[in-house]
Amino acid sequence: MMISPELFQQLIFYVFATFTVGSAMAVISVKNTIYSALFLVLCFFNTAVLWLLIEAEFLAITLVLVYVGAVMVLFLFVVMMLDVKQAKASQLKQSYTKAAILIAAAMLVELMMLFGYKLSGQIPTNELIRQEQGYSNVQEVGMELFTHYVYPFEIAAVVLLVAIVAAIMLTLRKRDGNKQMDAAKQININPAERVRIVSMKAEKGHGQDRGEES
Amino acid sequence: MTKFVKYLKSLTLNEIRKGLMLTQKYFFKRKFTVRYPEEKTPKSPRFRGLHALRRYPNGEERCIACKLCEAVCPAAAITIDSDVREDGSRRTTKYEIDLFKCIYCGFCEESCPVDSIVETDIHEYHFESMGKNVMTKEQLLAIGDMYEEQIAKTKQQDAKYR
Amino acid sequence: MIEMLEFLILDNLVYILAIVLGVILTVAYLTYFERKVIAFMHVRMGPNRVGPRGLLQPFADVLKLLTKEIIFPKNANKFLFLIAPIITLATAFAAWAVVPFDDGWVLADINAGLVYVLAMTSLGVYGVIIAGWASNSKYALLGALRSAAQIVSYEIAMGFALVGVLVAAGTLNLSDIVRAQEGGIVNWYIWPLLPLFFIYYISGVAETNRAPFDVAEGESEIVAGFHVEYSGAAFALFFLGEYANMIIISALTAIMFLGGWYSPFTGDSWIAQPNIIWFLAKTSIFLYAYFWLRASLPRYRYDQIMRLGWKVFIPITIVWIMVVAVMKVYNVGPWWN
Repeated sequence: MMISPELFQQLIFYVFATFTVGSAMAVISVKNTIYSALFLVLCFFNTAVLWLLIEAEFLAITLVLVYVGAVMVLFLFVVMMLDVKQAKASQLKQSYTKAAILIAAAMLVELMMLFGYKLSGQIPTNELIRQEQGYSNVQEVGMELFTHYVYPFEIAAVVLLVAIVAAIMLTLRKRDGNKQMDAAKQININPAERVRIVSMKAEKGHGQDRGEES
Repeated sequence: MTKFVKYLKSLTLNEIRKGLMLTQKYFFKRKFTVRYPEEKTPKSPRFRGLHALRRYPNGEERCIACKLCEAVCPAAAITIDSDVREDGSRRTTKYEIDLFKCIYCGFCEESCPVDSIVETDIHEYHFESMGKNVMTKEQLLAIGDMYEEQIAKTKQQDAKYR
Repeated sequence: MIEMLEFLILDNLVYILAIVLGVILTVAYLTYFERKVIAFMHVRMGPNRVGPRGLLQPFADVLKLLTKEIIFPKNANKFLFLIAPIITLATAFAAWAVVPFDDGWVLADINAGLVYVLAMTSLGVYGVIIAGWASNSKYALLGALRSAAQIVSYEIAMGFALVGVLVAAGTLNLSDIVRAQEGGIVNWYIWPLLPLFFIYYISGVAETNRAPFDVAEGESEIVAGFHVEYSGAAFALFFLGEYANMIIISALTAIMFLGGWYSPFTGDSWIAQPNIIWFLAKTSIFLYAYFWLRASLPRYRYDQIMRLGWKVFIPITIVWIMVVAVMKVYNVGPWWN
């Protein structure tokens, strides 16, 4: 059996694309929230494989690192802590479904318009441009980010920082009667102030009396 | 200021280094381990191990079925039945110690007025089937016969402290 | 073209098998080594019964674990319960794909190797979380939550420490990072990146859930944490994954800060030649340090772990990255060629 590399690549693409779409569908259709989150992880993984196929290995690994390694861990963390009740089909309101379908249809139309008209000239249709060996897209991404897109990049970073600080400020509250310990204060003690070492004369106990008798 | 100095000092990891050096020192020390089956530590004459019933030198069993040991046993491990023997003396017909219940406290030995029940220094024994943990009178007497010399010796050594 | 595919698959399979078997064997003897080291520090003998000097002890342990029954807790999610140890093991082994053992001895010489390793080591937490949730046990869930928070926190410090290495070496390829440290002990990155070196290693200890950061297991308060319900072969997989992760952290520290396969000496003598032995020796030092720390330090309290990660490590790493960048730009020291 002959499998040309192109066919092999296409096979891989279709297998993983199917998995991506399938797991994405499962994310929203599965009842158990934990499963839902885990399917999202699977979806990210398959997307990463698809990105690898277009030789964007840095982006693919970063996707795994950031979304799977950190963001989804926190998602799972929250989902496990919340103890979400499993929703039954009867509990879902019909009007929600209608609204959802409407939004989905709008998104679909938008996407089709985007790909059909705006980008039709820019997407290489038949063949991907292959870089020669030794080409590092890490360097390329870095160069682009810090020259061409340096302002959007820095602004995005600052916005994220502000978001972090704001989130902490909003959730940080001091409760009365909170017995939380301050680790820094506990570490910052001086043993000399807390322990007093006293030198005492040895006391004569029963053991010693016995010893003298015998 | 001192707080800041302390913080800087903590960054040198000096205290962790001290702790690590201590464990490293012990790494090279001579090991205390006793390689048990080959090496054994000396046992005190008071060691309380497997039980035994003793006899007088003329072969008469010492136990007079006073049941003090049964009464004193905190784990209720001892069961005694008694009857009158043909010669009219009171003797046990059943003297059993459940070694799973026994806590080896030695109260039975302390309470015995005739030094009959004793705890030997045997501690390497095991049972291979259910129910073998209950020592019968015959077994206890047999242990006593077998180790009489050893028992007498440890009693002698311990006598001046009693 | 089919020849190329076959060549790729067959050859790589051999390499993968060699690495996996090597790691498994190393893990087996690592457990023996751990028990011996800790025993010696406790002034004990350690295992010395199975085989000469106890050298067959690991095999006895493995046999015992494999022959034991796998118990499924009541109401546990069977599928996730079984897949959790497999995830832990798979991610631990996957990271080995990019580790260069010697010049050119690397399974996948990818450009983003550093990020790949970071991604794989951070994925290990999924095994822990899923195990904790699927076990249907409060101790397991508590252990999983602790582990998740701890790993996410220390990953940041670890990532920043790696950014320092990245700035110094100017590449994400692990082999190139080692090559940048050629030329004796003074050229190793441990000197310009000393704080980052310590932070990387300590974060690595935290990331692998080893003492003194082993609150995810925390025998004294949550029994055995996330793997409390596991037994037999499933537990063995967790064990294997944990130790494989320890080896990879040690190997990466050796690669990124101690110049991988390069000798500390310079010159033409045999001792100055780069060799895989150097890499293994450097890795062993850090493995020993794992056990040394375990024998010496008590377990951190949970809030102290969080404080150390967020309030101490992250600020220091950020400051030191800037220091390294300045040093590199103005060519301070012999490290930047």
